[in-house]
Amino acid sequence: MNDIAVKVRNVSHQFGEQGESLHVRALLDTSLDIARGELLCLIGPSGCGKSTLLNVIGGLLEPTTGTVHVGNTQVKGPLPQQVAYVFQENALFPWSTVIQNVKLGMMFQGVARTEREPRARKSLAAVGLADFADHYPGQLSGGMRQRAALARALSLETEIILMDEPFGALDEQTRMVLGEDLSALLSQTGKTIIFVTHSLGEAVFLADRVAVFSARPGTIKEIIAVEEPHPRKPAFMTSEKFTLLRNQLYSLLHDEIRKAVMQSTASERAAASGRGTGKGAPS
Amino acid sequence: MTMEPGTVPARPNRTAWQRIKKWFLARPGAARLVVILLLFIAWEIAARFFVDKIFLSPPSVVFTSLDTVFETNGVPRALEISASEILVAFLMSVAIGLIVGLSVGLNRFSHRSFMPIILLLYGTPQITILPLFILYFGIGPASKIAFGVSHGIFPIIVTIVAGVQNIKPILITSAKSMGASRWHIFRWVIFPHMIPSFFAGMRLGMTGVLLGVLLAELYVSTAGIGYFTSLFTQSFNPTKLLGLISVLAAMAIGLNEIVRRAELHYSRWRMN
Amino acid sequence: MSASGDRRRASLASRGMQFAFVVILVGVWYLGTTYGGISPILLPNPVAVYHELMDVLATGEFVGDLRVTLMELVTAFSISSTVGVTLGYLISRSQYSIRVFEPLFAGMYSVPVILFLPLYILFFGLGPASKIALGVTTSFFPIILNTIAGFGYVDRIFVLSARSMGASKFQLLRWVLLPAALPIILTGFRIGFTVALLSILGSETIASLAGLGHRIVQLGEGMDTARMFAYIAFVVVIALILNMAVSTLEARAKRP
Repeated sequence: MNDIAVKVRNVSHQFGEQGESLHVRALLDTSLDIARGELLCLIGPSGCGKSTLLNVIGGLLEPTTGTVHVGNTQVKGPLPQQVAYVFQENALFPWSTVIQNVKLGMMFQGVARTEREPRARKSLAAVGLADFADHYPGQLSGGMRQRAALARALSLETEIILMDEPFGALDEQTRMVLGEDLSALLSQTGKTIIFVTHSLGEAVFLADRVAVFSARPGTIKEIIAVEEPHPRKPAFMTSEKFTLLRNQLYSLLHDEIRKAVMQSTASERAAASGRGTGKGAPS
Repeated sequence: MTMEPGTVPARPNRTAWQRIKKWFLARPGAARLVVILLLFIAWEIAARFFVDKIFLSPPSVVFTSLDTVFETNGVPRALEISASEILVAFLMSVAIGLIVGLSVGLNRFSHRSFMPIILLLYGTPQITILPLFILYFGIGPASKIAFGVSHGIFPIIVTIVAGVQNIKPILITSAKSMGASRWHIFRWVIFPHMIPSFFAGMRLGMTGVLLGVLLAELYVSTAGIGYFTSLFTQSFNPTKLLGLISVLAAMAIGLNEIVRRAELHYSRWRMN
Repeated sequence: MSASGDRRRASLASRGMQFAFVVILVGVWYLGTTYGGISPILLPNPVAVYHELMDVLATGEFVGDLRVTLMELVTAFSISSTVGVTLGYLISRSQYSIRVFEPLFAGMYSVPVILFLPLYILFFGLGPASKIALGVTTSFFPIILNTIAGFGYVDRIFVLSARSMGASKFQLLRWVLLPAALPIILTGFRIGFTVALLSILGSETIASLAGLGHRIVQLGEGMDTARMFAYIAFVVVIALILNMAVSTLEARAKRP
C-alpha cells in the first residue's frame, strides 16, 4: 500500500442545490489510485470536473460525498507539507520579486528562515531562472512565470505536486520546451505529479497514465497507460507509439467534447433568457 | 451505501434558525434593511436614555414633529426657494457646461489652450471665495444660484470633453469613408456617442450644484435655510434641526436619484 | 513643413493662448481697479493684494489659523483612515457582507455631507471638534469604499495559492491581501484627504471661531477685501501644495 500516494474513493461534487439556478453536478462517483512517483494526467472536455477533482485532492474543496487520502491522512483541508500547487498563470504575487515569491511560499509552509534562501536559489536554478531571481513577474514572459511558479512548488519539497493546466496560457513552442524540462525534472526528483490539461499531445508526452473524463457530470471513462521511461525525449513525439496513443485518446474524447459543447450552448441560451427578463444587474 | 446512478445524496433537514439564516443569505438587500433599522433603533435608544435632550432627539420624535418644522414661519418658503435655486442652477450649469464642453472638446486648439485652465479652476477649493460671491451677488437667491453653477459646470464640462474625445477614430473614419459630411458626423457619430457622458456629467453636476447651493444657503445665516439652521442650533432645538436636515437630505437624495436613473437609462448601449 | 514642426507650432500657439488669457484677465483687473473706478471694497487692486499678501507672510500672521486648520485636518484624517480601513477590512472578509454593506456606504454618497454641519455645531459647539467631526464624516466614505474594493476583490487565485501553501490568516493579510489592496486603498486616502480639507475649510467658512476659512470670512465682513484676497490666494496655494504632496506620496508608495 506504500506505493499508492493518493487514494480517491467515490468522490462526487455538486455546486449549489438541486433546483437552484447555479446547480452544477461537476463530479460523479470518481475513484482513482495514484501511484508514488507517477505523472498522472487528467484530461477531458470543458466543464468535466477535472479541475474540481484536482481541487478536492488538494484540499481546497470539500467534496459533497466521497473521500480522498494522501498517504494515510484523509484530506480535509490544504496539506501544505504534502501537496504543492501550480496554477494556470497569475498565481505569482506581482508585488514581489521572483525569489521573494519562492521564499514567501516557504514561509507560509513553515520553513525556517535560514533555510529559505538556499532552497529558493536551488529550485530557481533547477528551472533555469537563476539569473532572474530579482525580477518582478511582470517583467518576465509567460513561460518564465510558469517556471517560477514551478520553482515555488519545488522549493516546498512536497511529495505531490498538483498542476492545473499550467501551460494553458502559453504558446505551443514554449509548451513543448517546458514539457521536456518537466519530464526531466520528474525523472530526477521522483515526485508524484497530477496534471490537468486540455492538450492531447501534452498528455501523451508527459504522462505515465492518462485518465480520460466524460462530459459533465464527470466521471473517469478510461485510464490509458503510456509505457515510456522519463525523461522523455522530443523524438518520442514523432514515434508511432505516440501517434497511436494520441489517436486512442482522441476517439475516447471526441463524443464527450461534442456533448460538452451542446451543454454549454444550452446553458448560454438559458442564461441569456434569464438576463432578458430584467433579472440581475444590481445597482 | 448504494446510490442511484446519476444522483448525489440530498442534505439533511434544517432547523428553523438555519432556514432563517438561509433566507437572509439569499437576500442581502433584506439584511441591509435590517442594518438600517438597527441603526435607527440605536439612535432612538441613545437619544432617549444616554444623551442630553438639548443635543440629540430620537427619530420617533423628529419624524412625528416634522409638521412643527413646516409650521415654523418662513420654513416652507425657504425650502421652496432653495429647491428653485437648485433647479435653476442645474439648468444653467447644464446649458453652460454643454456649450463650453462641446466647443472645447470638438476643437483641438481650444482644447489644448483652455482645458488646462478649466482643470486648474476645477481643482481649486471654491469654498474660499464663497464670501466673495455673497459680496457680489447679495444674500438672496442670486448668490446661491451663482455658487451652485460655479460648482456644477466643471464636472459637466470635463465629462463632455472626455466623451467627445474618447470616440474611437475608426468610427469617424468609417463614417467619412461612406461620405458623411461634418454635420452628419457630428449628428450621427459624435452626438450619440457623447450622450452617456453627458448624463454622467449631469449626475456629477447635480451633486456639485447641490453642494454649492447648500453651502451658500448654510453660510447666509440671515435669510433662507441658513437662517433656520442657525436659529434651531442656537436655540438648542435638535428636533426641528434634525427635521429640517432630513427634509433637505431627502430632497438631495431624490434629485440625485432622478439624475442617476436618467443616466442608467440613456447609457444602455455601453457594454461594461 | 515637417509634422513635428507643425506640432511644435500648434502647442506653442496654445501656450500663447493661455498666456494671453491670463495676461488679459490680470490686465483688465488692474486697469479696472486703478482707472475704472471700481470700489476697492468690492474688487481690490492687484497691487494692493500683493502687498497685503507679503505683509501676511512677513508678519507670520497666518500661522495661528494655519495651525488650527492643519490640526483639524490631520486629526480628522487620522480618525477616518484608521476606522475606515479597519471596518473596511472586516467587511471585506465575506462576499455577503460586502453585498450588504457596500451599497449602504455608496448610497450615503448622494447625501451632501455638509448638511451634518449644523448638527455637529449643536453637539460640539463652534470649536475645532465640529470641524473635525465633519472632516471625519466626509473622508470616511471614500476610504471605506476603497478599502472594501481593495481587500474584497483581490484575485482569488492569490488567496487560493497562499492557502494551498499553508498560509495562516495573518500571513494571508500581511503578505497577500495588504500588498494587493494597497494601491486602491492609497487612492482612497488621497480622495479622503482632499475632501476632508475641503469640508474643513467649508465648515470654517460657515461657522467657526478660528482657522483659515474663518479668517477669510472675518476679513470680508470687516470690508478688508484686499487682505481677504491675499488670504484666499494663500489658502489656494496651501491646498495646491497639500494635494500635490498627497498625490506624490500615493504615486511613490505604489511603485513596487
